[in-house]
Amino acid sequence: MRIGIDVGGTHTDAVLLANNEVVASTKALTTADVLTGITNALDTILKETGVSEDQIEAMMIGTTQFTNAVVERRELSTVAAVRICLPSGAGLPPMVDWPDDIAEALGRHTYMLTGGMQYDGWPMAPLDDAEIDAMIADLIKLGITNVAIASVFSPMNADPEEYVAAKVRAAIPDVRITLSHAMGRLGLMERESAALLNTALLAFADRVVDAFDDAMTTRGLKCPMFVSQNDGTLMNSSFVKQFPALTFASGPTNSLRGACKLTGLSDAIVVDIGGTTSDIGVLEGGFPRESNVVISVGGVRTNFRMPDIMAVGLGGGSIVSADGKTIGPQSVGHRLVTEGLVFGGNTLTATDLIVGSGAADIGDKSGLSAVSDETIKNGIATIHQMLDRAIDMMKPNSDPVPIILVGGGAVLVTGNLKAASILHRPENAGVANAIGAAIAQIGGESERLVSYSTLPRDEAIKAVTDEAVGRAVEAGADASTVRVAEIDETAIPYMDEGNTRVRVKVIGDIAVLGDKAATATPNNTTPVQEQN
Amino acid sequence: MQITVEDLDDLSLGAVFLATGGGGDPYVPQLLTAEALKKYGPVELIAPEDLADDAHVVSIGGVGAPTVSLEMLPSLGEAVRTLEAYENHVGRKVDAVVSFEIGGGNSLIPLMAAAGRGILVVDGDGMGRALPEAQMMTYAIAGVCPTPAIAYDYAGNITTFTTKDTPTYERHIRALSMVSGGMLTTAEHPMTGAQLKPAIIPGTVSFSVALGRTLRENRGRADQMLPALQKLFAASVYGACRMLFAGKISDKATRIIGGYDIGEATLTPFGEDGSSMVINIKNEYLVAKLDGKVVASVPDLIVIVDYESGTPINAERLRYGQRVAVFAVGCPDFFRTPHALKAVEPRAFGFDMDFVPLEQIGA
Repeated sequence: MRIGIDVGGTHTDAVLLANNEVVASTKALTTADVLTGITNALDTILKETGVSEDQIEAMMIGTTQFTNAVVERRELSTVAAVRICLPSGAGLPPMVDWPDDIAEALGRHTYMLTGGMQYDGWPMAPLDDAEIDAMIADLIKLGITNVAIASVFSPMNADPEEYVAAKVRAAIPDVRITLSHAMGRLGLMERESAALLNTALLAFADRVVDAFDDAMTTRGLKCPMFVSQNDGTLMNSSFVKQFPALTFASGPTNSLRGACKLTGLSDAIVVDIGGTTSDIGVLEGGFPRESNVVISVGGVRTNFRMPDIMAVGLGGGSIVSADGKTIGPQSVGHRLVTEGLVFGGNTLTATDLIVGSGAADIGDKSGLSAVSDETIKNGIATIHQMLDRAIDMMKPNSDPVPIILVGGGAVLVTGNLKAASILHRPENAGVANAIGAAIAQIGGESERLVSYSTLPRDEAIKAVTDEAVGRAVEAGADASTVRVAEIDETAIPYMDEGNTRVRVKVIGDIAVLGDKAATATPNNTTPVQEQN
Repeated sequence: MQITVEDLDDLSLGAVFLATGGGGDPYVPQLLTAEALKKYGPVELIAPEDLADDAHVVSIGGVGAPTVSLEMLPSLGEAVRTLEAYENHVGRKVDAVVSFEIGGGNSLIPLMAAAGRGILVVDGDGMGRALPEAQMMTYAIAGVCPTPAIAYDYAGNITTFTTKDTPTYERHIRALSMVSGGMLTTAEHPMTGAQLKPAIIPGTVSFSVALGRTLRENRGRADQMLPALQKLFAASVYGACRMLFAGKISDKATRIIGGYDIGEATLTPFGEDGSSMVINIKNEYLVAKLDGKVVASVPDLIVIVDYESGTPINAERLRYGQRVAVFAVGCPDFFRTPHALKAVEPRAFGFDMDFVPLEQIGA
């Protein structure tokens, strides 16, 4: 049996899965220390089912803590941004396009050093030891112990990053370092930004993972613990401590995967309605459709692969105009329970409209005495129009599609949605994220340097893919579900003609062999890759 | 018309559409241009017909492999220093700068140079799109001499050129670019106002702003934004605009060969069955074939956009699994003469086929 946990801003949800079926679920409040919330959820679920601790084979955690830390600019460490690029890029220092508040949260300690590689492997300029030593002396003077290092064309040749990192480590033994080539593919600014955010989260990651471990120890759970990452695969504890930024967007991924699990639908639109926004995503073949455009996290451009999500400013706490014709994007958020009219407050919210229409029985309906039937009718129509319009933009074509409603705000949808061929409101929809975490997948990756002049490209890619599939299956994936997630080719032009680094990442469901997978370690020695 | 900081988002978006996959990612040039416009104020556009016949105009932009610019970032002031180096070389002041190509980052480099020097930018360009070689520019096709020209590299090295014919100049500059990190800024093809007027695709800078605005205001599914695009293109120097395909990228392979990104992309339909499309790439999207049959070819514009948002996608950002739509747009009339076609038809890129205008290919 497996436990899936979703740590959200308001609630910590837990589900217990046996043979991939939901046996029990619970919602607890997220606590400031996170630990207590998880322990409470675990307590409830184990007590309710009478399952003993040693029957649990794995615990999978999905958490928005790292995304929220970036979005809310808290728990972020001071970081030095070291870029090896001069003489190119002068005038475009690290963090140049970041919002001021997050750049300041990291401290704006930027260093641009001479060096880096040209596309053909010729050095842009030799590394300057005196310059590097002066940078290190400055770090020591400022007491900075978190460093992100990026150099030009490091996905092709990471030697400059490694060289500078070795010198920094020698001088500052307790330093935490992220090298940009471990975070992404070509695109210096995005790769560097990803490395910076990751570095800023390293100290927090230690605390979070330790809290997870503590929660398990407190509950007497001895099984392995995994954290889900943005592509829907799992990371083990030591990997999370190195690459916490890879959890970004794991929330929407888990929500979509959970909705797929709950309905058995592999092609559908998922509408996750919360307190402030409705997040609309698309399931394709059982997986979240990925975004094509550069995604920003908390205003920072990165090159992570992310699900394609459209957020509409409509949730249970959204503020409604007096005539009911305008709703949101302002929301009373978690203050709904004090500010909403049905809760004795003074603000007309989307939740009040639903109570007024008689579709839900929440709070005290007498608080709505001053709201006209006309306003309620208009408001209900506005809710459906807003969702219809947004869903229409996300649909693959004009045909109606199945729509799955999840999240606490799903009650807002009282009628039919025009875009829907069928509207699903699955049982356990409130804990879709935790279910998604519990059924998270196993990745497998393989990389090889090939020469297309001796091995044709399609054969080379097939060979590398087969190897990756083998690794995923070995790590516990069900072979029949394994699919290619990414093919990444980097030509290395300065080697013999036709030399290309081929990297393939595959993903598959966890095999249900008495939950054998729970004891296997996912193959995530390398972080997600971007294609160039 | 003025170009202000507020216009840059629309200008860049329109320029990426017109870049037909090439031209480089304008994100970084846009950051630098915004800095330049904030520092020096807006740039004044001048219509080609308003230029004095004896005005001294030079074209300015970047030359090289677009993938390189994702890594080897330009420096603030590179465009201005290129222009200064040119002025020092020829021993006179420049009255206005003009873009080689409206497609991609090269639409912005003249703005940076003009802002820094307080001079005009001509509303127009030498391609109406993006194309990979200098002899494909309208300036060269119209017989303008490529030199005196100068090239400025990332390290500030300056090289001057005196070659009199553009294909040879292209060969030299390409070789220099390959050994200078893959990207150069050049000032070249100097013209008088009188020479420029018949040698330019007019109005493309202001059109790019309008195109970007249309893409932004109609942001959404590709098939839904098509009518707005058709209306805009129909009233411009271009003409027809069509959606050729919608589907997923099932394969994409490009490599830097001889200073270009060369390769092809394969697209398969969203459903299991149906025709697949292959697009040949040499920096730009050049030929689109549906089940082996050509449905659009250079110099007509082939544009790949994100299916859900209509945002154009550069070739270097194209990758496995993306959901996209393919648009085709008729090229400006300048390219439709036999003389001009020689420089830009599919054969000029090594494809053994004639150019068939979009309007003549069955819908």
